Amino acid sequence: MTIDHEGAPGAGHPPILELRGVEKMYANGVFAVRGVDLAINRGEIHSVIGENGAGKSTLMKLAYGLEQLTAGSVIVDGTVRSIGSPLDAIKLGIGMVHQNLELVPSLTVAENIVLGAEPGSPLWVNRRDAADATRELADRVQLPVNPNRQVSEASVGTRQRAAILKALGRGARVLILDEPTAVLTPQESDELFAAVRRLRDEGLTVIFISHKLDEVREISDRITVMRQGRLIATHHTADTTEAGLAAEMVGRAVSLDVERGNPILTPDVLRVEDLVTSHSPDHALEFTVAGGEIVGIAGIEDNGQGELMATLAGLLPARRGIVTLNDHDITRSTVKQRRDRGVAVVSEDRLRDGAALSLGIDLNIVVDRYDRAPYSSWGILRPSVIRHAAAELMARFRVKAPDATVPMSALSGGNMQKVIIARELSSGPLLLLASQPTRGVDIGAMQFIYEQIVAARDSGAAVLLASADLTELLTLSDRLLVMRNGHIVARFDSLDGITEQIVGEHMLGVAAHVDTRGGVS
Amino acid sequence: MTTVEMEDRAAFRTQRRNSALIDIAGVLLTILIALVAAFVIVAMLGKNPVDAFTALITGPLERPNRIGNWLEQTTTLTILGLSVMIPFRTGQISIGAEGQLYLGALAGAVVAILLPLPLAVAPIVATVVAMVAGGVAGAIPGVMKARLGANEIVATLMLNVIIVQIFDYLVQNLLRSETSTAAVSDQIRSEYAWLRLQELTGIPLSRANVGLLVALVLAGLVWLLMSRTSLGFRMRIVGGNPEFAKYAGLPVARTIEWSFILGGAVAGLAGAHLVFGVFSRLEPAMASGLAFLGIVIALLGRNNPVGIVLAAAFYAYLRVGGDVMEQQTDVGSELIIIIQAMIVLLVTAQALPMIVRRLRAKRKAD
Repeated sequence: MTIDHEGAPGAGHPPILELRGVEKMYANGVFAVRGVDLAINRGEIHSVIGENGAGKSTLMKLAYGLEQLTAGSVIVDGTVRSIGSPLDAIKLGIGMVHQNLELVPSLTVAENIVLGAEPGSPLWVNRRDAADATRELADRVQLPVNPNRQVSEASVGTRQRAAILKALGRGARVLILDEPTAVLTPQESDELFAAVRRLRDEGLTVIFISHKLDEVREISDRITVMRQGRLIATHHTADTTEAGLAAEMVGRAVSLDVERGNPILTPDVLRVEDLVTSHSPDHALEFTVAGGEIVGIAGIEDNGQGELMATLAGLLPARRGIVTLNDHDITRSTVKQRRDRGVAVVSEDRLRDGAALSLGIDLNIVVDRYDRAPYSSWGILRPSVIRHAAAELMARFRVKAPDATVPMSALSGGNMQKVIIARELSSGPLLLLASQPTRGVDIGAMQFIYEQIVAARDSGAAVLLASADLTELLTLSDRLLVMRNGHIVARFDSLDGITEQIVGEHMLGVAAHVDTRGGVS
Repeated sequence: MTTVEMEDRAAFRTQRRNSALIDIAGVLLTILIALVAAFVIVAMLGKNPVDAFTALITGPLERPNRIGNWLEQTTTLTILGLSVMIPFRTGQISIGAEGQLYLGALAGAVVAILLPLPLAVAPIVATVVAMVAGGVAGAIPGVMKARLGANEIVATLMLNVIIVQIFDYLVQNLLRSETSTAAVSDQIRSEYAWLRLQELTGIPLSRANVGLLVALVLAGLVWLLMSRTSLGFRMRIVGGNPEFAKYAGLPVARTIEWSFILGGAVAGLAGAHLVFGVFSRLEPAMASGLAFLGIVIALLGRNNPVGIVLAAAFYAYLRVGGDVMEQQTDVGSELIIIIQAMIVLLVTAQALPMIVRRLRAKRKAD
């Protein structure tokens, strides 16, 4: 473990926040964080990176008082402090902005920002003072928000600015941002970064938690890598490479470039004609996916992609239009009928739709085929056959667990997603509907899932891939559709020369409607 | 990576065994705490807790007829616990066992009072009738929940009220015995009566009957249903996560309906046990409060058939011991209700297994 104090801004002072020998053990004997020494210097942007479950969020929760240390100490400005709750942390000038932003949706931006330190008397909150204070604060740190907007109606970017203002408003000198860009478009991320740099230049210290390496290298002064609860190394950003950081995070070298074959295309495996989903009654969708190609769907979240995928999977009824699978009309088919015809679905919310967490991997992995031989006959299950089949799939799809009966809830995000991918791809689908297949998945699992999706394509499956991660879409897709407000606003039949910036502009509606159908193909 | 993922097979198995043991230790600790609290309460009332607890704990085993009472109550409570467990495992909070029991008892008794049948088939026919009636009483809230989105707690509770009223009305009017002064029905025909254990063993075991064996076989069947059939698989998936079941293409509504129907049929069997094995006629309030005990039994038995048999045996023992205590000392059997309440609180809070886990983790860390 290397820690260096020299060269960083603020040298000569004690670190503004130091964690020494920090350990967190959960009641079941699991170490989430083990023996971590980390010093954050005054006025730096310090990133903490690691895979899911590496302990980076837990480490920050320890500093913010959301979790209690089992060993070690937290030192603020050279003094050992005991931080028993977020209130203690706030008093010491430590603020945290959570990934899910933790705001009250029914209150306005201003009300949220002053919550906990409301102006006015104990019985009466002065809303005008709240709005004025918010406006003044927003102007001072140049994070524009509309104070009177209700949070539930504000954009994600606005909510995030509100959450940051809330922390700053309570006097944060150290601001912890937990995966702040997970929910933002590239443009919104750029704005956030500009704001963070400005705040740093005014003396704020920022701790930035992420697992996106390009972002981290763009924004940070120093980068700390964690793996399996331990601190692996702390670097100056200039000394790092993306590949080097990725290798430290995973513990081996990784590459997200996937070798792709040249399968023969089977045209129109999926044909969508004049389809109207429950998202927007005014817009009909029209496209096809051939066997052997991956068609990506880009778009800011909640612009109709979810409804499209759910409608194709049979989970939502189509308002109008026709969906055919190999020329067979499946518009009114049930989920079961679609699955029997060869539709596989990786849903975007795996905790809600993808698994029964309290049950074992074995039951989860056969949920689409338990009623067929050899898994059951005449309504009687054959548990040993199911367990063996599950164990074999776990080996083939590199699901890491000691036993097929381990409950899904014991698995990390990446491993859980591998179980789902194993189930959906081992059915040999004609059509794979994959939504956010690598959301919240660590980089090692991500690479594997990419390989599996491409393998399904290479073996002739039609793949429709909806993702919020543009890098992912550009890496995997053969063709790309962009959705906004429920309709397809752009379509790229070749991805040569297409950048994230270009796609992002279409997602935001900055660029005009594009259709490259005639030009390229 | 989570810890489980880093474990090898052997370590995982050990850990799983340990956590099962912790679960059992938690349940035992729950019972112990409830008993100790009851002991303290008796002492605080200025009565002699040692005498009361001696009667409570040794009383049920002192005479064969008390053992008989214990076995008879174990039978009813086991069947009721299993009846509650089936919808519980499917994620359905059905509290309709009472109505299902009464409707089963009513239908079975009507057949057994009015219809002369050969001895060989009579008990089976009447039992099937009782189970079908219980199943129908389960199907009504089941369909309401699965197809119409009604709240199953409200639906089952209201149906209980309706059925119990109908039952009371019929017992006090149409079915009321002309030869008896009390508001009870006629005796069932003798060919319908379940064989008493006393006739099998020669020991005077009061009203305990072959229903005990039926209950034990039923526990095995319910275990098979849940873990070895595709219907049980569907029930577990729907109980685990209904959204996931829908996404996987399982017939969620039908699975929920079946859980209610099967739970109802089992409750109907409990009604058959009361009519054919215990009372030999219909009596008002013949099962009052028992069905809700079924919920306690299912919780205490962790929705597991073996656990339910053990919990039912334990609870039946307490009830019989409570009666002995009431006869022999000046402590009333209400004490048993206090113990029950403590157990329900502790079990539903799931606090104890957590405390045991925490203590163990602490010891490991030190």
